[in-house]
Amino acid sequence: MTSPASATATSSVLRVSELSKAYNGILALDGVDLDVRPGEVHALLGGNGSGKSTLIKVLAGVVDAEPGAVLQLGDSTQSLDGWSSDKAYEAGLRFVHQQPAVFKDLSIAENIAFGTEFPKTRTGGIAWKQLNKHTAELLERFGVHASPTTPLGELRAADRTRVAIIRAVQDREDADTGVLVLDEPTAALPPTEVNHLLDSLRRYAASGQTILYVSHRLDEVLSVADRVTVLRDGKKVATVDAKGLSEADLVELIVGRSLDRMYPEPTDAPEHDVVLSARGLSGGPLTDVSFDLHKGEVLGIAGLLGSGRSELLRMLFGAYKANAGSVSLSGREVRFETPSDAMAAGMAYVPEERQADALFQGNSVRHNMTAGDANSYFSKLLFKHDAEKRDSATAISRFLIRVVHDSQPVETLSGGNAQKVVIARWLRRKPAVLLLDEPTQGVDIQARAEIYALVREATEAGCSVLLVASDPEELAHACDRVLVLRNGRIATDVRPPLEAHRLTELMNLAESVR
Amino acid sequence: MTTSPRPERSDVTEALPVPRTEAPPAAETLREQSKTGSGRRGGGGGAPSARPSKGVGAYMAQYSLVILLVASFLLYTFWGKTGDIFFSTANLSNVAGSQAIPAILTLGLLIPMVSGNLDLSIGSTAGLSAIATAGLYSETGAPLFVGVLFGIAMGLLVGLVNGLLVTYFQIDSFIITLGTAAIILGAVNWYSKGVSILQGIPQDLVGFGSGKFLGVPKLVYVLVVVAFLVWYLLEQTPYGRNLHAIGSNKAASRLVGIRVERDIQMSFVLSGGLSGLGGVLLVANAGSANPQIGQQFTLPAIAAAFLGAACFKLGKLNVLGSLVAIYFLQININGLSLAGVANWISEVFTGLSLILAIIFTGVLSRRALKTSVKAAQSSAAEKPKTA
Repeated sequence: MTSPASATATSSVLRVSELSKAYNGILALDGVDLDVRPGEVHALLGGNGSGKSTLIKVLAGVVDAEPGAVLQLGDSTQSLDGWSSDKAYEAGLRFVHQQPAVFKDLSIAENIAFGTEFPKTRTGGIAWKQLNKHTAELLERFGVHASPTTPLGELRAADRTRVAIIRAVQDREDADTGVLVLDEPTAALPPTEVNHLLDSLRRYAASGQTILYVSHRLDEVLSVADRVTVLRDGKKVATVDAKGLSEADLVELIVGRSLDRMYPEPTDAPEHDVVLSARGLSGGPLTDVSFDLHKGEVLGIAGLLGSGRSELLRMLFGAYKANAGSVSLSGREVRFETPSDAMAAGMAYVPEERQADALFQGNSVRHNMTAGDANSYFSKLLFKHDAEKRDSATAISRFLIRVVHDSQPVETLSGGNAQKVVIARWLRRKPAVLLLDEPTQGVDIQARAEIYALVREATEAGCSVLLVASDPEELAHACDRVLVLRNGRIATDVRPPLEAHRLTELMNLAESVR
Repeated sequence: MTTSPRPERSDVTEALPVPRTEAPPAAETLREQSKTGSGRRGGGGGAPSARPSKGVGAYMAQYSLVILLVASFLLYTFWGKTGDIFFSTANLSNVAGSQAIPAILTLGLLIPMVSGNLDLSIGSTAGLSAIATAGLYSETGAPLFVGVLFGIAMGLLVGLVNGLLVTYFQIDSFIITLGTAAIILGAVNWYSKGVSILQGIPQDLVGFGSGKFLGVPKLVYVLVVVAFLVWYLLEQTPYGRNLHAIGSNKAASRLVGIRVERDIQMSFVLSGGLSGLGGVLLVANAGSANPQIGQQFTLPAIAAAFLGAACFKLGKLNVLGSLVAIYFLQININGLSLAGVANWISEVFTGLSLILAIIFTGVLSRRALKTSVKAAQSSAAEKPKTA
């Protein structure tokens, strides 16, 4: 961790005060103060709707604040009225988003050049040599081991994010003002990549730069941040030193009171009644995978990216071809050629990539909820729109989905609410087996707790769950039992007591064996 | 999304062929989410108290094409240069009748378009069906209904082939149907040697195609029936719902059990079938089959479908919108030509309307989207303030 030099400890590089923002008369930000000191990593935390994204948007000049807010940048104080993205750029504020806009088919050098300008030759063409040399220096400095001409798509995820960061800050090296604002930079990264990125950030901050860091992952925040500001309901709760804080402390600040447990109590692992049984499944990355899933059980799958964990779920759902092996459901052998076969047998699947594989953008929340289930609302040549509306209203209240109206396009929901729509889509059909792939990715901590409560509720009603998650902490808390997948094979069957650090060890072991 | 002040731009695809974003329907009641939202785990969402107030602008936008249609109608009715002829029964029934066949082709096109697939072969398929029907009558003297079924069957066959190529080889429908359109055109010219078929068309068929009932061309009645059926299919059946889902997200559709390939295949068959019907009606209307006539329908149909997406359901392809678009264009083309403006104005008018309408919808639907995003955020922000 870096600690700000004592001489500058009391000064601010960025200070916002009395910042409010109302949408339709409702305050999303209510007199918020934020004080970022030079050279620190300052984390901004809060649940969905706490106002942190609004705050970032105001800083970026994308959203106008209510009049009266004051912005102090280094020594200059000014009003936030009339703040714009150009002014933010001038002031040295740089933003990198959750899903950075990078061009996978273009080279690293080209990607970086889009941040400023392509160097030109005398005839007006692009000076490729100069550009590549400059890029190589930048990559070197940020510890990305790749050639400037490599297509960005060939880099691993953490390096792609690093390139996005380099692009944002490339002209800031010698500046002693300015702030790099990172909005959930690790949300799309597999856990093994997260540390690489965090290392870069620590180095960058140690060189005297300032970072404002927004994240849902509390462990990350504690490992990288110097100070933490927590927002709740549009108000600042506190700004505290990160040193000495625990995750439980942060949770308490974020939700306003300590959750007794973030995850529901695991039930006694039921050993009777095998619901789903796989024998010798092979195909794609998977080799000879066998396991039993019991009635009412939450069975976790721990494994690194590429271990075959997602393929396993897809295979069970008829969306990925198995070359060998058999699956039986409630004692009867089944072979699913398509997802609709699997659904007919009572399987349900929440895919990892919510945007790409689960949400129907431009369609309403209601239609998203009933997607694939339209047949059940059609009888005697009429579509029962009323029944559909009733069902979606029921699901919205039962699954705690925060919407203004169920005809609202689904892309207007927050990550957590969109995920709940996807989960509701399946749970309302009362599936026998629910396959969950990273169900809490990009979901804030409170929605996460709610999602696991819903899962637990379903298992109490007799549903069995297969849960893939990257976060060992999450697996340890949410599961009755965990299988560790290694190189497409099941390496270990971990039984209670499940401990996060033990799962982490097993996953790292898997990496070293590979 | 926060966007970094400079280079990052994320508004990449404002895509063909399915525009998105439906403004929330006005008439629906607020879905109360009530206390249940907040109870469970430490106070989440409260009951949202405000509906997203839809701006007057967005509301106007939904009906702007209808307003323009009425305005044009009034203009040509009361404009001295055109009024006498324009508002005559003969002219109005001509306007209505002349667009029945293009409208039927447009409605056929809508079906694959909703699923995100374009069918560029509708015009040539109609031409093929016309030539095939007329050829059958003139060479074999087949009974009326055999010729009609034969023409429709030709359309279905083309649709089947298009659908198979698109789904089996997973090639973009734009390219496949561009190819089949060209092949069909060649085949029609080979068979007809480029000459119209005039002989042997049954008088009853021609009587129907050029006749009127209650002063309205009979073809218009056919159009009304087809429009109802396509609307019903797209908006009131699970199949239509699935096509909309496929158009929004193919991968997700597969994962909720929608038989994507089968549904797309079927959409091309239906589109082909309606093109076939259009071809038969061309013969009925003209009493002959002109090998050149078919392909001229394709581009206006695509234009009308997109223009229709600027009407009623902003940014969504829809049947009623397409019909309004077709008649909006035709009334203006008719009115302008009555006013003595040269013929080339029709293409220019169509093109300009399309571009302006798309810009208009783009701006407004983006604004509508922003409004609902804000409303969603504020509803999330409005939580019970726990002490």
